Amino acid sequence: MQRDVGSLPLAPALRARLVAAGFQTAQELLDTGPCGLSKEIGISKEEALEALQVVRQECHSDATQTAGAPGTSRKCTALELLEQEQAQGFIITFCSALDNILGGGVQLTKITEICGEPGVGKTQLCMQLAVDVQIPECFGGLAGEAVFIDTEGSFMVDRVVDVATACVQHCQLIAEAHQEEDHLKALETFSLESILSHIYYFRCRDYIELLAQVYLLPDFLSEHSKVRLVVIDGIAFPFRHDFEDLSLRTRLLNGLAQQLIIIANDHKAAVVLTNQMTTRIGQSQSTLVPALGESWGHAATVRLIFHWDNNQRLATLYKSPSQKESTIPYHITPHGFRDVQPPAVTQNPEGTELNPRKRPRREEEK
Amino acid sequence: MAPKKLRRARLSQELCERLSRYQITTCQDFLCLSLLDLMKVTGQSYRNVQKLLCKVSLACAPKMQTAYEMKVRRAVNPSSAFLSTSLHGLDKVLHGGVPCGSLTEITSPPGCGKTQFCIMMSVLATLPVSMGGLDGAVIYIDTESAFSAERLVEIAGNRFPAYFDSDEKLFSMTRSIYLYRELTCGSVLKRIKSLEEEIISKKVKLIIIDSVASVVRKEFDTKLQGNLTERSNFLARGASLLKYLAEEFSIPVILTNQITTWLSNGLAIQADLVSPADDLCLSEGASGGGKRESGSVTAALGNTWSHSVNTRLILQYHDLPTRQILVAKSPVAPFSAFFYTVEKSGFVLQAKSISQANTDPGENTDCESSRLQEVITRSQREEKNLNCADQ
Repeated sequence: MQRDVGSLPLAPALRARLVAAGFQTAQELLDTGPCGLSKEIGISKEEALEALQVVRQECHSDATQTAGAPGTSRKCTALELLEQEQAQGFIITFCSALDNILGGGVQLTKITEICGEPGVGKTQLCMQLAVDVQIPECFGGLAGEAVFIDTEGSFMVDRVVDVATACVQHCQLIAEAHQEEDHLKALETFSLESILSHIYYFRCRDYIELLAQVYLLPDFLSEHSKVRLVVIDGIAFPFRHDFEDLSLRTRLLNGLAQQLIIIANDHKAAVVLTNQMTTRIGQSQSTLVPALGESWGHAATVRLIFHWDNNQRLATLYKSPSQKESTIPYHITPHGFRDVQPPAVTQNPEGTELNPRKRPRREEEK
Repeated sequence: MAPKKLRRARLSQELCERLSRYQITTCQDFLCLSLLDLMKVTGQSYRNVQKLLCKVSLACAPKMQTAYEMKVRRAVNPSSAFLSTSLHGLDKVLHGGVPCGSLTEITSPPGCGKTQFCIMMSVLATLPVSMGGLDGAVIYIDTESAFSAERLVEIAGNRFPAYFDSDEKLFSMTRSIYLYRELTCGSVLKRIKSLEEEIISKKVKLIIIDSVASVVRKEFDTKLQGNLTERSNFLARGASLLKYLAEEFSIPVILTNQITTWLSNGLAIQADLVSPADDLCLSEGASGGGKRESGSVTAALGNTWSHSVNTRLILQYHDLPTRQILVAKSPVAPFSAFFYTVEKSGFVLQAKSISQANTDPGENTDCESSRLQEVITRSQREEKNLNCADQ
């Protein structure tokens, strides 16, 4: 109630007039009432009423925040956060080594960035995740939907069909092994067609379309509340050319990062971005570093770097708040993103995993 | 593709006038401002500005489609998703051939057959759909003056003797290949910009640019500082224009590139560097470096260009006259290698071509693959050097 008039989200001209007239706190405005306000400032009664409604709404939300009312309050204790985090699911990648170093998979409510050289498998992983987020809960998935924003044009429907078919087959094998009711029921709705229908694809040709799409995302996600994954494939591509003003680029990127963090938190979705690598020419050698500059490095919570070592593709977890830095090998097969060799531990007594490359399901999952 | 004016975003007339006083006339200008700036400029409250932002974004944002709709659309027109190269093994690995709607790059040392491949593809694109072609015209942008019409006719006559049995058929094929000789970067870019209308009027189904590297390397001297940013700008603009054309009309685009030498002392001579002014970044120790050999070859035009092309085929010398074609980068195909020779009828795949489909290079499933391993290691190293070094 003691909020300063200058900080209220009113039109700047109106704000300037209020301050010039001598109003200091929001309470004063509310006490004056619309008629008094319109006479004193010289605006119409309707405008005054509108302004007061804005002020009232602001003060109300301030009040609920300070009073700690449940539901709308934004603060909570670390214990509550811990419980939330443990109950939250992960999006698995079908490569158990990668899931392990990530602590279970791609986390919700966080931004994960994948950097890599051209052709190393970034888009493949994104397509795999867009399929994996849809796995029904009884198989250990999130039963969510996916938004795929493509700026480079590397999304291939045929490839997603291959990955999705392999995923459905994998779930069918599990269902046959366990023969449980809910498994079979879930399989009825988990088909190739439904997987493809729940991947929402946007093709953004330049940075303006990308900015516009990210502005519209919150509304889209409110309508499609089951979306649990937002992929932006190629955040670097639209920003790497045609930008004479680098400070504008930094500002736009920071704005994008902030909006994505808000989206990730509000809608409990995982945001996955892919970045390019660029050559940094040093004194005597050159190294590959992620593109878009130093300040962009702060945008993502988790950073994965994909690279080559002779014949082997490697993934390095470079930045994570909870897991330690490590490197694992992975493969791209016709079925998608997979481990290099069958995982050592198989707790599945039936042994119905016909394809040794696929990750066995953990028994303790509900 | 000019930025959209605000008037077309359904903003009110007075608002547009007010904004134009601040030099904000396009959606681009509007979306680049922060919320506070927008409030100042429009003179409206926070909530109203958010609504305006939504309105302008709606005017600019792309349309949504689900992956299922895309698949259905592809299924309706299966033959038009790829242009078959008439090299059976290569087509199988690439799931049909050169993909429509994306950029494909052919890179090789001089004399390996890039132009031959392009001429062959031009013939194939003019063939009717029943024979695996696209039944359309071809736009061939030639920067090296290497195109030979006689060779075109020779390949057509020898490769499809049954179809091109009369002179008339040959002439109608040659009539549908439009050749443009462009010798500078600026003229190439101008030509690409003008292509949109030509594609519609001439019913073009294939665009070939032979070669991008020669015109770029002629004009941009990489030793001069300012040239590097200009060069990457030119390449990026060209790439995004071509991608737009490829996707909009669902046609394949074939580009050729050159190979350059990379020397081991860390700084390349006669090679292409990526501009350090392009990115201000700290080295994160993620160098793909490793061991480098002296004199290894990499594709020219830099790292950024490698990101822009979706498929990359590398041609190499093997034991003459046999040469090798490698699928180095493809979203649908694993690494594969094929041997070929260049004959009167164009490319001919050798019977002893070895391809390892359906597995990633890291796995050795049988003993024959040790030979393949060597081939793949070499291509891997090249692909890696392509991307991670001074090029």
